[in-house]
Amino acid sequence: MRIAMIGWEYPPFKAGGLATHCYGLTRSLADKNVKVYFFMPKTKHTAISDQPNLVIKEVGETEIFPYDRPEDKALAGNFFEAVHRYNQLVVAKVKSVVQAEGKFDFIHAHDWLTMEAATILKEDMGIPMILTIHSTEYDRSGWLNPNQWFIDIERKGMEQADRIIAVSHFTKRVIVEKYGINPDIISVVHNAVYPIPEGKKQKIVLFLGRLTIQKGAEFFLKAARKVLDYEPDVRFVVAGIGDMLPCLIDQALDLGISNRVIFTGRLTEDEVKHIYGISSVYIMPSVSEPFGITALEAISAGTPTIASKTAGVCETFSNCLKVDFWDSDEIASKIISLLRYESLRKTLTENGKQEIELFTWDNVAGKTLDVYNGIDTARLNKQLKEREKIYKWNQKLAANSFESAITLKTKKVRKSKSYRRLYR
Amino acid sequence: MTSICLYFEVHQPMRLNHFSVFNIGANNDRSSDYFNNKLNQEIFEKVAKKCYLPTNKILLDLINKYDGKFRVSFSLTGTFIEYCELFMPEVLDSFKDLFDTGAVDLIQETYYHSLSSMYEDLDEFEKQIKMHRKKIKRIFNYNPKIFRNTETIYDNRIARKITELGYKGIITEGADKILGGRSPNYLYKPVNTDIKVLLRNYKLSDDIGFRFSTQNWSEFPLTADKYAKWISRCEGDIINLFIDYETFGEHQWIETGIFEFLGHLPGEVLKHNHLDFVTVSEAVKRYNPIGEIDAPWAISWADEDRNVSTWLGNDMQIACFNELKNIGRKLMEGGNERLLITWRRLQTSDHLYYCSTKGLADGDVHAYFSPYENPYEGFMNYMNILQDLKQRAVL
Repeated sequence: MRIAMIGWEYPPFKAGGLATHCYGLTRSLADKNVKVYFFMPKTKHTAISDQPNLVIKEVGETEIFPYDRPEDKALAGNFFEAVHRYNQLVVAKVKSVVQAEGKFDFIHAHDWLTMEAATILKEDMGIPMILTIHSTEYDRSGWLNPNQWFIDIERKGMEQADRIIAVSHFTKRVIVEKYGINPDIISVVHNAVYPIPEGKKQKIVLFLGRLTIQKGAEFFLKAARKVLDYEPDVRFVVAGIGDMLPCLIDQALDLGISNRVIFTGRLTEDEVKHIYGISSVYIMPSVSEPFGITALEAISAGTPTIASKTAGVCETFSNCLKVDFWDSDEIASKIISLLRYESLRKTLTENGKQEIELFTWDNVAGKTLDVYNGIDTARLNKQLKEREKIYKWNQKLAANSFESAITLKTKKVRKSKSYRRLYR
Repeated sequence: MTSICLYFEVHQPMRLNHFSVFNIGANNDRSSDYFNNKLNQEIFEKVAKKCYLPTNKILLDLINKYDGKFRVSFSLTGTFIEYCELFMPEVLDSFKDLFDTGAVDLIQETYYHSLSSMYEDLDEFEKQIKMHRKKIKRIFNYNPKIFRNTETIYDNRIARKITELGYKGIITEGADKILGGRSPNYLYKPVNTDIKVLLRNYKLSDDIGFRFSTQNWSEFPLTADKYAKWISRCEGDIINLFIDYETFGEHQWIETGIFEFLGHLPGEVLKHNHLDFVTVSEAVKRYNPIGEIDAPWAISWADEDRNVSTWLGNDMQIACFNELKNIGRKLMEGGNERLLITWRRLQTSDHLYYCSTKGLADGDVHAYFSPYENPYEGFMNYMNILQDLKQRAVL
């Protein structure tokens, strides 16, 4: 099986869970004897593959940061132009690979940014298209002011996909209810994690993620204020960057806790592992979280985790604490409980690590393969052939000026089953 | 002759209020705030209507119909009786009516359905048994002869203590690890003391308690005549069917046909001439032990493991259990009666049960009985309350 997978981030370049997912998925698919070509924008850090079955193709210089939410129209124009150009480059690159090395069985795209290329390739080459949805515009906007532009692009892409993979049932519901997609073509495949080693624990409570409205860091700070009244020697770490950083720094000052809160900025991969390892509690207070791989990362590093109840990970993972993201009192109460009750920490850590073992990328690749295999390629090919046939008929008809022949043939075509199926 | 000994456990725990760490030490007089009276009343009234009242009526009718040939035994926990007195005295009256028929026996246990039998010394255990004895004596004017420990927890030490307290029999699980291939359908005696042990036939008991409405069970649907036939083919002196009373109408809903099953059971059983019903006291009077059992480690009727890991299986449960014991030692010194009662209510085993992480993924039996979303919530709430009580115990 040969897959053309289109992404836009891949370690070492990483903005979110999508990069982690693509990394784990492509490597595990390659292990399962699937030939994967991964197409992505060229970045400062070259992504490399050490597996013969996995080829990484970088296309063009655009470094797009899709979590930027351009407010300014001129900026937005440039942004969309960049996305468009990236997609065009991908199309050309995929086609050249096909010419040189043969056809792909499936095109697999991730989130809205890659939908354009996938749709064009599907149309032009008749290859079935799979789309994984890691987050929607509703999630990224925290359901406050979703941008119709993005929503329209997402809907169009989803409508073109032969199969959709959602990272949680929560996300599947959004795709069905907000984008009107047939639930029968959506499969849920939960994410996984490469375990991170446990470090020497310190009295650190950690937030790690993009500092955007989606991730709810402000609730983390509110909870921190409350915890410090009871446990004054705890340190709170906010790791990550994002457009809300200045507000959050202000908030910490206003709450009078800036001496106990550390803003780390962007961390390297090793620094991320280190901070997971030495933290005592991890908080994921996301307003809207399709999955939340960071929760699994923290738990794998032996860090008990408090996660937003609605996060996708909470529908499938038992051994973590669950809260309403807005309930900073409850978050604080749970942080204090975790700091005070060693037995709670121990039980959560041990059971959490055990449960983590079920969340492997090999599993994710297996389920993704099931989705590939579930696509009725024969039926799709037949449809395509019929479409080609009709296309040829039409070409012929256009070329032929003999009127009676036109009427005759048109009638014949209109009677044919394949015509009716396609154009009724 | 083979006798059927039907015994029902009747218990309701005192469920707790939401108690966050910020409540600890926040107020010096909040013992009533530990318990969620509203929820407890709601649940009690619901279960009374679905289970206690209708089942009692069926049993009373059956006893009258078969002229006392149908006989059963009950154990009512102290907390259950308190609820009756507080919320619905008519429930207690219906138990009194049953007892007055003479076909009903009562069983002794710890007043608070506690794990006090697992403490290093058995003083608190003994005290709670005596409290229960006093309560039953006051309400039913009767002294039970047979003892049943919380969740049928049993080991040699407990057996010896119960013998010392003068009971004629003790109930526990017919667990394979103490029977070693022998039949549970006889009386046994402990290796270390002289008392008769009644062993629950877990297969037949669970056919009613757990499997009755399981549609993918090969024997579904279970009818009274089929069940009576199974019993009639059993070898032995006595078949002990020990079941949670809430099975009738609560765990198994009325729609499952559980009441029809119960209504037809005595008639179907009595069709077999070699079968009859006995109460627990009659069982130990009529039959003699055929062998010895040795239980150096505690067994119980819970889960597949049939040990105490359901209550003391993880670090959180052991931490709470130890905290309970510590608080007890402090309170004994101080002698504050009101706090002692609160402490004892907190000893009810259900609070530890809610913290069980056994088979969290597939532990739907645990989830069904717990008012918490998960064991961690159960632990935090319970532990926070224990911390508050500990602070007050020192004052």
